[in-house]
Amino acid sequence: MPVVRETLGDSSALDAAWSDPRTFAYLPEKTDVREEWVASALAALPEELRSGHFALLTSGSTGHPKLVVGERARAERLARTLHAVQDSDPVAETILTLPLSYCYAFVNQWLWARVSGRRLVSTRGFSAPDLLRGALEGASDAMLCLVGAQVTLLERNFPDLVFPGVLRIHFAGGGFPQAELGRLAAHFPNARVFNNYGCAEAMPRLTSRRAEDAREATDVGRPLPGIELSLGEGAELFFRSPFGATAFYEQDELHLLSADDWIATGDLAERTEAGTWRLLGRANQVFKRYGEKIALARLLDTVATAWAGQANFYRERDRMQEEGFCLLLTPAPAEEDVRAVLKAFRAAHPRTHWPLRVESVPELPVLPNGKTDLAALATLVGKTIHWKNRL
Amino acid sequence: MSNHDKLRELIIDTFLLDPSEYSLDLARESVDTWDSLGIVSMAVGVHETFGYHFTPEEATGIERVSDIVRVLESKGISFAA
Repeated sequence: MPVVRETLGDSSALDAAWSDPRTFAYLPEKTDVREEWVASALAALPEELRSGHFALLTSGSTGHPKLVVGERARAERLARTLHAVQDSDPVAETILTLPLSYCYAFVNQWLWARVSGRRLVSTRGFSAPDLLRGALEGASDAMLCLVGAQVTLLERNFPDLVFPGVLRIHFAGGGFPQAELGRLAAHFPNARVFNNYGCAEAMPRLTSRRAEDAREATDVGRPLPGIELSLGEGAELFFRSPFGATAFYEQDELHLLSADDWIATGDLAERTEAGTWRLLGRANQVFKRYGEKIALARLLDTVATAWAGQANFYRERDRMQEEGFCLLLTPAPAEEDVRAVLKAFRAAHPRTHWPLRVESVPELPVLPNGKTDLAALATLVGKTIHWKNRL
Repeated sequence: MSNHDKLRELIIDTFLLDPSEYSLDLARESVDTWDSLGIVSMAVGVHETFGYHFTPEEATGIERVSDIVRVLESKGISFAA
């Protein structure tokens, strides 16, 4: 079975692989995962998964590489469902800013363009801003798919530019920039903005909501038609989806998935009174501190009431060896911004929920897929400390 | 910076006060963030700023900002203008 490597800005190899009935793996242009490992994963697939499927690489919850296998017919149905739910009829083209080997861009953009007969506009994202700018300025009815961290890149590269030809902007793959919607509207006055949620095993979409339908970034809206969500022990979020992955390969073991299975998302969540779903964070982002339950994703909502830039947390123990966390802002805040953030913490949370420090860096480390490199936050050099909790 | 100014900055920073809330008469009972963990934070801050370790009894016995001044002055740390 073929192993296809992405060439940024050129989707022709992917087009060819999709037209070939054989199951194929689509890998990022650069990855430290060996092709031999991918080939052995494909070789482990049972007969029924050896055609009509595709496989994408993701990092598993254990940190080991994970190859997730999807069925092409399911993925195409999901792309059509997204088209209907997100009212994409007026959109004629989608502008790529993320690698296609990232399942978000793969399904929401490349496959959507294929099944809906729309144009895919390849760029190299913010690594070649002039090319991206040209695509945005030339657009008359376009859709963009972004991750939250790219809003800062947008501001830095195109601070005063307006792109009236962008009609839809999707966010997924991390925190939704609810606090930055005003700035986005200034750049994209005609765009409807959506918060999308999912995971690789969902291949990839589970929920979607329009930005204005909730005030909290952690509110991910309602499941797409046909998808069910439920809570397990400890608020762990599970899904059951007719569009989900059929298998994944991790640590030299193949796991088959059925559309009838309840599959863990790896996130914790709760249902809101309005019937939408609110994320509480990854399982490792919810913990006890001085007996109080801390959900870092919820605390980001507090930060967002007072800070329009990016905010991230990383874990650290305090001087009493209790689990705690530091707040890292980007770009550097003014002193009054820090005061406003701290005031918001005081108003909404007990001291146990306050960060150990408020810090900033001018720029966040970014992974090839555009997401913030969360694992690198704790050891970043050049952080400025704006405030410290003395616990 | 005078010791009064250092203490003012420390109390505002520790209890996340609006500067207008601060006074020497400010009472523990009127500050929602002056709780048990707040007392620990304040004691750590006093040590970092003035080099004096409150005993647990001293820390929990402080009812007003002026009590901090009183304890520190009794240890030879001057708050004279």
